[in-house]
Amino acid sequence: MLIITRKKGESLMIGDDIEIVISKIDDASVKIGIKAPKDVQILRKELYEEIQQENIEATKIELSALSSIKKR
Amino acid sequence: MKFLSKVHGEIQYEEKNIITFNKGLLGLNEFKKYILLDLQEYEPFQLLQSLENEELAMIVTSPYEFFKDYEIKLSDETIKNLKIDSPEQVNVITTVTLNSDVKKITTNLQGPIVINTSNNIGEQIILDNSKYKVKNPLI
Repeated sequence: MLIITRKKGESLMIGDDIEIVISKIDDASVKIGIKAPKDVQILRKELYEEIQQENIEATKIELSALSSIKKR
Repeated sequence: MKFLSKVHGEIQYEEKNIITFNKGLLGLNEFKKYILLDLQEYEPFQLLQSLENEELAMIVTSPYEFFKDYEIKLSDETIKNLKIDSPEQVNVITTVTLNSDVKKITTNLQGPIVINTSNNIGEQIILDNSKYKVKNPLI
């Protein structure tokens, strides 16, 4: 993993078309601006991980649990 | 063709019905080939069964069966990846996470699976800043 130190207002490039700007720094959080092509999806990692975890959960199938469900 | 599913026993399927997820499903990225089976005794649920791992299967449903107003906007990237030409080609399903307590059965409305039925290419998408939840109670 590459670790870079940046100051407020500075930025960095990932490849030719993704720019990450450090726009605000507080004690425990940073505000980051991201300029990227529209086809690059940017997500908070927690959400990505939550959906990964949910997919794994969904593979635990006990069919009997379904019998009790009716269409709304 | 035949496949032995851990959940469903022997499955008969045709090659043309194989759904390809080029990126896999999140957290299960190495598995790309699935088949979608009707579960007649458990309608409207279906089984999304991996053809590369007999133990890997999920219960899925059309979210519209339970949430009539459900709506998603497909990104240009998804439309391109799945080669979607018209809305009629799109099948949207969501995974169902089971629980012996019916009230705790949830479906993942924030991470729906989108399939182009004309070429059977699929992708799981993530709706950011969505009003829908990963664990949305089904009833």
